Order: sequence, then C-alpha cells, then structure tokens
Amino acid sequence: MKVVQKLLVANIKQFLRERSALFWTFAFPIFFILIFGAVFSGGDNINFSVGLVVQDDSPAAQGLTEILKQVPAFELNVGEEEAELQALKDGDRRAVIIVPSGFGEAISQGSKGDIDIYYDSTQTSSIQILLPIVRRVLDEYDRTIGHTPSLIQIQEKTLQTRDIRAIDYLVPGILAMALMQLGIFAAMPLVVERENRVLKRLGATPLRRSTMILSAVIFRLMIAVGQAALIIIVAKLVFHVPMLGSWFFLTGVIILGTLTFLAMGYMMSAFAKTQETAMPMLMAVQFPMMFLSGIFFPTEMMPSFMRPIMDAMPLTYLGDSLRQIMVDSSALHSHLINVGVLGGWFAVCLIVAVRFFKWE
Amino acid sequence: MNVVIEVENLRKTYGEIKAVNNISFKVAQGEIFGMLGPNGAGKTTTMEIVEGLRIADSGRVFVLGMDVKRRQRKIKAAIGVQLQTTSLYPRLKVHEVIDLFGSFFLKALPPDELIELVKLEDSRNKLCMNLSGGQQQRLSVALALVNDPQILFFDEPTSGLDPQARHNIWDVIKFAQEKGKTIFLTTHYMEEAERLCERVAIIDHGEIIAMGRPDKLIDQYFHEEAIEFQLDQSIGEDALHQLAGATNVVEENGKVTVYSGSVPLTISALMEMAKQKDMKLTELYVRRATLEDVFLKLTGRRIRD
Repeated sequence: MKVVQKLLVANIKQFLRERSALFWTFAFPIFFILIFGAVFSGGDNINFSVGLVVQDDSPAAQGLTEILKQVPAFELNVGEEEAELQALKDGDRRAVIIVPSGFGEAISQGSKGDIDIYYDSTQTSSIQILLPIVRRVLDEYDRTIGHTPSLIQIQEKTLQTRDIRAIDYLVPGILAMALMQLGIFAAMPLVVERENRVLKRLGATPLRRSTMILSAVIFRLMIAVGQAALIIIVAKLVFHVPMLGSWFFLTGVIILGTLTFLAMGYMMSAFAKTQETAMPMLMAVQFPMMFLSGIFFPTEMMPSFMRPIMDAMPLTYLGDSLRQIMVDSSALHSHLINVGVLGGWFAVCLIVAVRFFKWE
Repeated sequence: MNVVIEVENLRKTYGEIKAVNNISFKVAQGEIFGMLGPNGAGKTTTMEIVEGLRIADSGRVFVLGMDVKRRQRKIKAAIGVQLQTTSLYPRLKVHEVIDLFGSFFLKALPPDELIELVKLEDSRNKLCMNLSGGQQQRLSVALALVNDPQILFFDEPTSGLDPQARHNIWDVIKFAQEKGKTIFLTTHYMEEAERLCERVAIIDHGEIIAMGRPDKLIDQYFHEEAIEFQLDQSIGEDALHQLAGATNVVEENGKVTVYSGSVPLTISALMEMAKQKDMKLTELYVRRATLEDVFLKLTGRRIRD
C-alpha cells in the first residue's frame, strides 16, 4: 500500500507540474460550458422588435395598441409609417404592423377591419414564430370585442415536471465527454512509457505490475471526481444548472464511467505500438463518440440509420445516466440498462486489454 | 572463485536472426565483467535475459545461485539495473525519483547518500527533464544503486557521453566495485573495456569469439605493436607488407596501420622507403595493440562500423 501511495503522489506531482495537462483537464471543460452556456442563454427570452403604426384614433385601435404592448415577446415601437418601414428595411424591426384609418369605423359597423403586417420574408425563422403570435393576439382581441366567450381554452403543460433548458441538457453531456476523454487518453502515458522503456526499467525492480496499474487507476479516478465537481459547481453558480438526484448515485456513475473508458484506453494502448499510432487511434474513437452519442444535442435529431451506432456507444449511456440523475431529463434507457451497458463495456475492454497488452 | 552469474548455452532467436547463439560464461563475485562488441551483436539481449527482462529460447541462467526463470522477484530485489536511454519521470525532481525507486524495494539507501555518490548535489531539486545527458546517466546509475544491490548491470553506461562525463561514470563503477559489488557491463568502447573491465567477452553475431583479461587477450593475439601513420599517396598494402618485421597491414582512407614484431627494424625500413619514393608521412606514432585490434583480427571489421 505504501508503494501505491508513493506512485500516486509521484503521479499527482507530475500532473501538477504540467500546465498543458492541467489546462486540458480542468479549464477546457469549463470553457466549453461557458461558451455553450452563453450561446444558448439567449434562447430563454426571445425579443422581437416590432413597429406599430396607428393611423386611426378610434377606441378600437387604441385597445389593440394596448394589447400589443402587453405581448411579452414584443418590443413595441410606435411611430410613423415611413420611418417604421425604413427601420424594417434596415433590419431594425422584425415586422411592422399598420392599423389603417377606418379600422375602428369598420369594426363598429360590424364588418371586417383590415390590419397590414410587413415583414422581411428572408427572416424565415423569426417570422415563423412572430406571425402566429400576432394571429393569436388578434384572435384574442377579436373575441373580447365580439363578446363571444371562447369555448375551448388551451392549458399549456409540458410533460416534464420542470423545463429542461439547453444548458441543463448540455452540462451532464460535457461532464460525460470530459470523463470519456480522461479515460481514453490515459492510454497515452502508458504508450509513451513503454516506448521510452520506463515500463521495462520498472520491470527490473520487484514492483508489481498490479500495484502500478492500481495507483494509475486511483489517480485517474481522483482527477475524474475533481473534474466532475468543478463542472457541476461552475454550471450551478453561473447557469443555475441543478443537481436534482442522489449524490451517491452520481458519484457511482462517474466512477463506473471513468473505469469503462480507462479500460477502453488501456485496450487501445495494447494495439498501438508508438505515440504516433496511438494518437490517431484515440481520435478515431473519441470524435464519433462525442458527436453521435447525444451528449450535445438530443438523439432525436439524428437520422434513424445512425441509431444502431448510437445504441452501441458507451458514451450514450453515460450521458443519459448523468442527465437523468442531474437534471431529471426524460430517460432514453432505464438506469439498469445504462449501468449494465457501461459495466459490459468495462468487462469486455478489460479482458481484451489484459489479454493483448505487452509490457515491452 | 565464487560465481554469482552463470550462463550456459544461451540461445535467443528473433525470426531469422540468431540474436544470442549458444553463449556460455561465468562472472565471479567482486569482478567487473564486460561484454564488448558492435551494436546488434547480442550484448543487450544477453544482459536482459540475465536480468530476467527477457526469456531465452533455451539455455540456463543462474544469478546468485537462483534460476532466473523461477526466482525473478527475489533476483530483482538483489540486483541493480541501468538500461540504455531510459528517460524516467520527466517532471519529478532528482531526489523524488530516487526516493520513489527506493520504495519499490524492501530496503533502500537514503536518496541524499546516492546523490552525493554520483555527484548530483547541485541538481538535487532539478526536474529530470532539465538534466543534461551526463546528469541523466548519473541519475540512472544512482537508481541502479538504490537497493544496495549485490550485482550491478550497466548497459552501455557511457554511450553518447563526453569524456569528462564518461570518467565520472567510470569512477562510480570503480567505487561500487570497491564496495564489494559485482559489475556486469556492456560496451562498444574498446577503451572502456580495457580500462574498466577485469575480464571481457568479445561478442559478434550472437557468439562469444574471445574471452579473458584484456591484456592477456591482446598478448594472446598480438606479439607485435602497431605503427600508425597517414600517407599522402597510396602505395598498396603489398609494398608495406615487405617492410622488415611487418606481420600485417591495414589501410583505410590513407590511414595505415602496420603491425610489427620489431618496431625499430620496421620504422627504419619505412623511413628508407619514404625517402626513396618521396612519400609524405605524417602523424606517425607507435602504440601497443588494443582490443580493437583483436576484434579486427578476429572479424576483419572494426567494432564501430
């Protein structure tokens, strides 16, 4: 045990003295969260700048103005027709609503009152959101002046007990990615040490290989837990990403996930003779996993022929598991399946690694 | 003679190449035994089999009376090993690495004692990655000594070092011998073998072609001395062969070595010839034969080709 501890301390010292390793391990995932968080945080309160031109001074037109002012998604600018249309052309308005003169008179006589909406047809995405809102506002207004109570009322309820924001979805994914990289890239030092004959030199001492591997695994697990803690804390402080589930279960899944990817890394180091072959090999495994296992965006967005690939990747299950525990997202798989698949991958990689790893 | 290393009919083949081809030798307690030969001759392979790092195809190896195949951990606890080009933990400090290696053994010498022994006091707190080649090598020697071993193995201990660094390593090796340790080293430096080793085995193509005390080996193969000089024109080996007293002639790029049983006779004949043929003769000197000459005589090649 004394030797395990000595090797562990040596590993930690080496790690702390290597700035680039520190950066990639701790700062990189945090940058990821901050950047993605900043990108997605705009999605929470969408604001459309809308111009309103009222050319009618009837009570009906004033009433409509009041209602439009209350639409939270609109930043309403009341002005003259010419100025507002110019603002639309300049891109300062998403749409301009014009209430022409005679609008109030038409309504009071019981006929239809026309309203003009100008918009930039190239801005398809915002128009798709904006036009339905305007329609609904007008419907609502129509109903109040027509005194016809609406018979059907829509009650909006989402299926989940709480809303999952994009950042909530993303943070457990980034944690999963960080653990995957930590595990897989643990193969690199081993390949380097074999190439530099360090493993051989250690083999000339009574040091047991199991002792060496044990201390290396404990070292990686310590980093994994530290990394996870940092990611969770930053996400909580900056973006208020919650941690809803059991801390005990979360720690367990983090450890299982790290062990699985460590075994996968060691398995690959058994087949890569040099650093030059190891690096592309690790990349070839980690990149598809990063983008096809739904850690950044829901897997529903992927074409169906990719489903079997996603279903095979351990990262899919680690991401899903962490997401369920942390933000209580809807489950892709049950906890039992997630843990089972990770455990299965762990066992297979470990067996292959032990069978094929060469110390020289 | 108390034998501490015993190797019998050792063989190791890699594909078609016979790296070690039926090698047998013994090393006595307290001696410095060297294996001299060119790169790829099978020195390192032989040494690593004795250390228990490689497994032989056939043959028997006993270290301190124990079979290397069966008592590996016990043997490893009693030997010290220095390998070629090992760059250990680059971001550990010198004293930290020595301390770490000490922890692999049941008993270990204090790091500072070893640092003093290999003269690394000034670099005690340096990171290994910042050491010079000579300092790295001295650290490597210190690590081989960490468990106060009975037998020390050095694989090319001074390879690539400058003369001063080389002498430092030699001092440490001699000091270890004075402490009663047995030393087994490999080298392709003729000078290192002659000055350091009490006994050498000359090895080529996986076979031992000569073995014994360096001066005895030279005496065995050479009763003559070597006359060396540079010539500005080639006159052919045949003409030189006819010099009085000359037994053998080797000419390489204008550098001529004439082996002679009677130096005064040969030199005066050489002077006469130079005068007659108006040859320009430079860098003339006489030396006794070396292990390099022995190797050349036995194989027709130089050690460092």
